[in-house]
Amino acid sequence: MRLFWELCKLSFQRQLTYRAAALAGLATNFFFGLLRAAVMTALYGARREVAGLSLESAITFTGLTQATIAFLSLFSWYDVMNSVYTGDISSDLLKPMSYFTFWLAQDLGRAVAALLMRGLTIMIAYALMFRITLPRGWQQWLALAVALLLSWLVSFSWRFLINLAAFWTPNALGIGRFAFGLSWFLSGFLMPLRFFPDWFVRLCNLTPFPATINTVIEVYLGVLTGPELIQALLGQVLWVFILVMTGHLVLRAGVQKLVIQGG
Amino acid sequence: MWSAIDLYYRLIGAQIRAQLQYRVAFLVELIGQAMATGVWFLSLVLILQRFKSIGGWTLGEVSFLYGMVETAFGMMDMLFSGFDPGFFGRQVRRGTFDQLLLRPVDITLQVLGSEFVLRRLGRILQGAAILAVALALAEVRWTPIKLAYLPVVLASLVCFFGGLFIIGSTITFWTVESIEVVNILTYGGSEMMSYPMHIYRDWMRRFFTYIVPGIFLNYYPALFFLDKPDPFGLPPFAPFLSPVAGAGVLAAGLTFWRFGIRHYQSTGT
Amino acid sequence: MSSIIAVGDLRKHFKVYRHRRGFWGALRNLATRQYALVRAVDGVSFEIQPGELVGYLGPNGAGKSTTIKMLAGLLVPTGGDLRVDGRVPWRERRAHVARIGAVFGQRTTLWWDLPVIESLDLLQYIYRIPPERFRHNLAEFRELLELDPFLDTPVRALSLGQRMRADLCAALLHDPTLLFLDEPTIGLDVVAKERIRQFIRHINSQRGVTVLLTTHDLSDVEKLCERVMIIDRGRLLFDGALDALRERFGGQRELVVEFAELYADVAVDGAHVARQDGQQVVYRFERNAVTASELIGRLSARYRIRDLSVREPDIESTVRRIYEERLLET
Repeated sequence: MRLFWELCKLSFQRQLTYRAAALAGLATNFFFGLLRAAVMTALYGARREVAGLSLESAITFTGLTQATIAFLSLFSWYDVMNSVYTGDISSDLLKPMSYFTFWLAQDLGRAVAALLMRGLTIMIAYALMFRITLPRGWQQWLALAVALLLSWLVSFSWRFLINLAAFWTPNALGIGRFAFGLSWFLSGFLMPLRFFPDWFVRLCNLTPFPATINTVIEVYLGVLTGPELIQALLGQVLWVFILVMTGHLVLRAGVQKLVIQGG
Repeated sequence: MWSAIDLYYRLIGAQIRAQLQYRVAFLVELIGQAMATGVWFLSLVLILQRFKSIGGWTLGEVSFLYGMVETAFGMMDMLFSGFDPGFFGRQVRRGTFDQLLLRPVDITLQVLGSEFVLRRLGRILQGAAILAVALALAEVRWTPIKLAYLPVVLASLVCFFGGLFIIGSTITFWTVESIEVVNILTYGGSEMMSYPMHIYRDWMRRFFTYIVPGIFLNYYPALFFLDKPDPFGLPPFAPFLSPVAGAGVLAAGLTFWRFGIRHYQSTGT
Repeated sequence: MSSIIAVGDLRKHFKVYRHRRGFWGALRNLATRQYALVRAVDGVSFEIQPGELVGYLGPNGAGKSTTIKMLAGLLVPTGGDLRVDGRVPWRERRAHVARIGAVFGQRTTLWWDLPVIESLDLLQYIYRIPPERFRHNLAEFRELLELDPFLDTPVRALSLGQRMRADLCAALLHDPTLLFLDEPTIGLDVVAKERIRQFIRHINSQRGVTVLLTTHDLSDVEKLCERVMIIDRGRLLFDGALDALRERFGGQRELVVEFAELYADVAVDGAHVARQDGQQVVYRFERNAVTASELIGRLSARYRIRDLSVREPDIESTVRRIYEERLLET
């Protein structure tokens, strides 16, 4: 247990040293946020509300999506497959903790650091630039905290799972690119899922991706209340369960293969 | 001159052969790349079903902007792979760039030939498909001038993005940290140019008019192709400035690049 | 006969900017920059005649790579004269580079993802080698360097020894008159080292290629070079025949002994005491005068020894000793 927190802290501290990169990343985030906010405003045109989202909420959405990029490592995460390809995994597997937990701890540290350095900061910049929506009342803030934790868990589990492809093919990177691209499409990262046609939303809900972004954003914007809110959070929990279980099974199969083939 | 072109073809030919050797890997990468860049447009298509238009432009018209940028950026990304600031920065840090200085060949040619990422072909094909969709939906009234001018705009866009890539790579002689900022100009700029520019705030638009002349490379030509009025009241020849803007940015990039090489030679890494 | 390399009072100074730490430091960095002047090469002069095989030695950071980079045309000197084959390297880059070859131990000159033979083929076009000449050279080097087993392997999959041989071939295909070798045997096993050395000897004696060899490995120098230059802290400390160097400093070995007790007098026949540090004593003895086992025998007859080890002369201690000598001379 202590090892978990040690790893977590180390990872957190390491992220903090990448100050220059974080600053540059923030500039990028801010630019794209402004860009998407302009697109959103143009889309709305004269409308004040679409699918339950006011223009203000929609603009807040563009900031929130930028804020989650670093937090959920949205664009790429290939650490595990790289360690399989370089052979580092053999020493990692010898560590006195489950391989999954090993990476979980490190990703937690990274995610918290990212949330502070590039999540919070972007929202503050947005608040200075635009009028943004904020969660109201302590229940909403609590729900947000829970949703954030769950969305990180879902995100990590599916990233971990996709990386495991490296055990079976040398083309895991291409597969990963495909999977990440798909995740942007189906998670409500590009546009709020409510804006899409119903059949598309139903399709997305068959995947864990909405549980990473769309849910947490909708919790923040306050469009989910009461039973809908509980349902969404439970949905996240369900996906965590499914992905972690699958991840463990696949990992076991993968390690077996590794051991048999001699790495 | 011809030997230089010959050498370039040999350099990239060798790489293409090496990449095609692993056909499965290549296909996987191609599809992966296509998915990564294609989803943006797919989203737009689905979204516009509800919103009908963006800034007054319909799906066909926005697709035209999108298609031009995607096709041109894809072509640039493939041709100028060697100048991709991330890739080039790594070469400089590793000391591989010195290798180029030790060969009796023009440095720029060598950098162009040093990397050719064939899978970026996927983005070109995507862009072309989007463009085809656009031309079908938008009902362009074709004239001989328009037909002749379209490839010119594409070429100018390639030069424009290529110039930005070169500037980004040159900066890595000094520092690798600012690559992100260059990404704002290249990837950010290309996304920005994929939408009609009148939706942006004044200062953003003015930046991309007077400092980095992106507006003349896509938006103004689009006004011409789609027979739309100019909301900013620029002179009537504005849509035809694309080759000037594209060549200008490329020339500026190359000048800065030569300066960067001289600096590298006097200070090492 | 005019020299192929003529270097006069060559200087290369670097400004190293001080990175101020912390928040206030970063702000002050924006306003003014503090820098230190590093004199990597500080007034070096020498001449090399065509056909020579010269060793260029020095500790890390002595200025070896900087000198080589200037000779190759990669770096512009801060001051002094530099001419290679009558040209100023950095001014006439393409003409200069077409006549030299370079091999770096730390990285390859070939294309990483391409099979070796494809890299070599590309070089034919890069250096505009006449097809006949290219075929002839390639055939000769393939045999001498035993390249056939891995000609079709991508460079990234080669072992270090294989890569070195491929790089050597690549460096000589265009018949350069001058070859720079930067740590060519680093990381190789003894057999591989010998193979490389043989090849270098061959191209120097049979093809008359002038070779400038920088290395940390003294046995490289002993087996190949007749002339040696030693650089340290940007200055040339020694430039002369290897024999002279050997006479003055080489052939000396060290025996480090840890005695079981503190002895006042630790003198022994055949060696002199270089350093004494309580119970640890460093003896220096001539390779030809006495063997290590003889010396150990003499010592153990007289004293009680807890531990000992034999140290061979390396370039660092040789240079240190040269400094000591200089201090003694003045």
